[in-house]
Amino acid sequence: MKMKKIMALTMATVMGASLLTACGGSGGTTSTTASTTAAAETTAAATTAAGDAAAETTAAAAESTAEPVTITFWHAMSNAQEVSLTELTDKFNAENGKGITVELVNQGGYSDLQTKLMASAAADTLPDMAQAYNNYFTDYVDKIVPLDDFVKNDFDNWEDIVEGYRIENSEYGFITGVPFNKSTYPFFYNKTMFDRAGITEPPTTWEDLEKDGAILLEKEGVPMLGYDSMCDMLEIFLRQNGADYVDETGALFNTPEGLEAIEFILNLYSKGYARLIGEDAYFSNLMSSEMIGGYVGSCAGVTYIVTDNEGHEFELGVAPIAQGKKNAAYNAGTNLVMFTKDEAKQKAAWEYMKFLTSAESQVKWSIDTGYVPVRTSAYESQEYQDFMAGDTPGAITARAAYGQAPYGYVPSNYFPGANEIRNVVSDTLTVCISEGRTAQETLDELVTAINDVVQ
Amino acid sequence: MNRKSYKGYVYLAPVLAIMLVFTAYPLVRAIFMSFCEDYSIINGSYKGINLENYADLFKDKDFRKAITNTITYVIFVVPLSVVISLLIANLLNSHIRFQGLFQTLYFLPYVTSVIAIGVVWRWILHSQYGLLNSILNFFGFESIGWLTDRNYSMASLIIFAVWKSLAFDIMIFLAALQGISPDLYSAARVDATPRWRVFFRITVPAMRPIIAYAFVMGIINSFKVYNEVFSLFNGSAGPSGYNSAITIVFYIYDKFYNNYKYGIAAAGSVVLFLLIMFFTAIQRLPGRIRARKEAAQK
Repeated sequence: MKMKKIMALTMATVMGASLLTACGGSGGTTSTTASTTAAAETTAAATTAAGDAAAETTAAAAESTAEPVTITFWHAMSNAQEVSLTELTDKFNAENGKGITVELVNQGGYSDLQTKLMASAAADTLPDMAQAYNNYFTDYVDKIVPLDDFVKNDFDNWEDIVEGYRIENSEYGFITGVPFNKSTYPFFYNKTMFDRAGITEPPTTWEDLEKDGAILLEKEGVPMLGYDSMCDMLEIFLRQNGADYVDETGALFNTPEGLEAIEFILNLYSKGYARLIGEDAYFSNLMSSEMIGGYVGSCAGVTYIVTDNEGHEFELGVAPIAQGKKNAAYNAGTNLVMFTKDEAKQKAAWEYMKFLTSAESQVKWSIDTGYVPVRTSAYESQEYQDFMAGDTPGAITARAAYGQAPYGYVPSNYFPGANEIRNVVSDTLTVCISEGRTAQETLDELVTAINDVVQ
Repeated sequence: MNRKSYKGYVYLAPVLAIMLVFTAYPLVRAIFMSFCEDYSIINGSYKGINLENYADLFKDKDFRKAITNTITYVIFVVPLSVVISLLIANLLNSHIRFQGLFQTLYFLPYVTSVIAIGVVWRWILHSQYGLLNSILNFFGFESIGWLTDRNYSMASLIIFAVWKSLAFDIMIFLAALQGISPDLYSAARVDATPRWRVFFRITVPAMRPIIAYAFVMGIINSFKVYNEVFSLFNGSAGPSGYNSAITIVFYIYDKFYNNYKYGIAAAGSVVLFLLIMFFTAIQRLPGRIRARKEAAQK
């Protein structure tokens, strides 16, 4: 009798626990529902294209003995980015002449992609290739296919790839990937509002940030600045003040320069020149409804700013970010990495990687999406130069991105804990700003939080 | 064990096999993981078997907050949802106009994606343009930073969760109400029994098993709350920077997927398991005491 009750009780709790294990999945999938249809369409498009391609190749390239091969590619591109990626992939599938079919799988946003890759690394079901930041695979770098031999033997001019990206993709001591969708954070601003307030030029120095911030707050009653990523903002200001950020040993900014940079940041917020995102999700939304003068965020986000909202029509301005004692601008965006152990699939994936990073593809990709080309030759191509000379929001953004390209740095985040550090820094900094902590307190809290992660 | 029971086990075998693979094994595995120091989910390596994960867990103030938040959540959401649902179900069961329409309306939250509901509630609770604050202002109260002030995070979450869980409770209560014999109500009417008395003396006792079921399921589900937090705070566990609405499952998910601390996450899930077991046991007590009393009376 007693045994039975215990059994029943255990059953009930086991049921509870099993529901819990189901939870992990649903957390990720719920947010991707919006893109499922898009993904379904993509796969549909890809398969039809694949059919055509297969038909063509068997007919045309009879001498090629290569077996038809299909590879899956997990990505996190949506909207205009996904459209462009699909077009490029369709073209590749139709024209590669080697029987290769790439199947695009949309995994939602970056964080969805990151968690799904982690889970499939544990289950040993990784896709053939994926988009990834270095900090995604700190725990499973041994599952990455080293690309050194591919690059050495079969790549069109590795030196043509922008240097920072080459360094980033070699941080683990071997070539982990090739750069694909690269962005930088310029300053987006409401030019109409700036003109009205009498600010003729966007801020170019730290002093300008304070001066113009004060003018805009007084004349327009809104803050001038927002930062999409708090941890990236901290890194930008630290580097501009000649301080370092973090490495595998922990925080590196416990210096007078670091303290000064933090003091400057806190001051921007306490005076009301900058604001936190709070409950409003995206600064591009606040821009669209003219509740902020400008913000610093990814150049690929330009497609999300609406300048012709009813009652809120304004001219969009984009400029390189204001610089400090030193010049620094943040570069973001993922690389393409390979997981497949199958040699034929590795070769196929490499063909596709070469295609996506070719100058021609990069020009189309950058014009379509607002990302910056990863190749110098793509930058210098006539087509891209013509595009940059235009006056579309994309062209203005591209000019600003190009303007700060010389100061661009790629953050180093290949060590264990790099992913967690991003989160704790953003959280700690947000709390310190909202609670009005002093610069020294903020510095101490940040350093402690980072070092706790690394140890 | 006689031949008959063997047959029973044969029938149960398929389900038992599934449960062994997908429930019992992961459970044992998670318990094992929770004792492994620096466990790696990727290659299964660990430094040693000890209580390090549990020590880390209880040292972490976020986990302590997750436990108190989760218990607060359960204590408020489950009873509130059951009581309000019972009242609404009772109203819907009486002969009102547009009964079908109202039944559909109350069921809508159950079939709507929790993420979509979250988007709507984020607007309702917005500190500057939210509907709720406009109503408060209309009655002369000050605006509240429902989603920005960390002191109100749990309150917002509870309001949101109660609203969301009403749908399911109302549905099962309605079904149960329709199963109560009309004779009982007719008899009460003959005696001119007041309505509140009919409710407490006929409706509630007749529905005791289903109310108990709603409580058990409500408690188990509420202990595992994650989606509600995720959708209300746009992916974080409270106003940005604060983990003021962190729950145990949120903590486990964060440790596992974002911070790659697999062992600590496993330890967290074992603690959650024990908590659910404890509360399920407690809530079975009244029923058992009553059963014993009744048996004694006979």
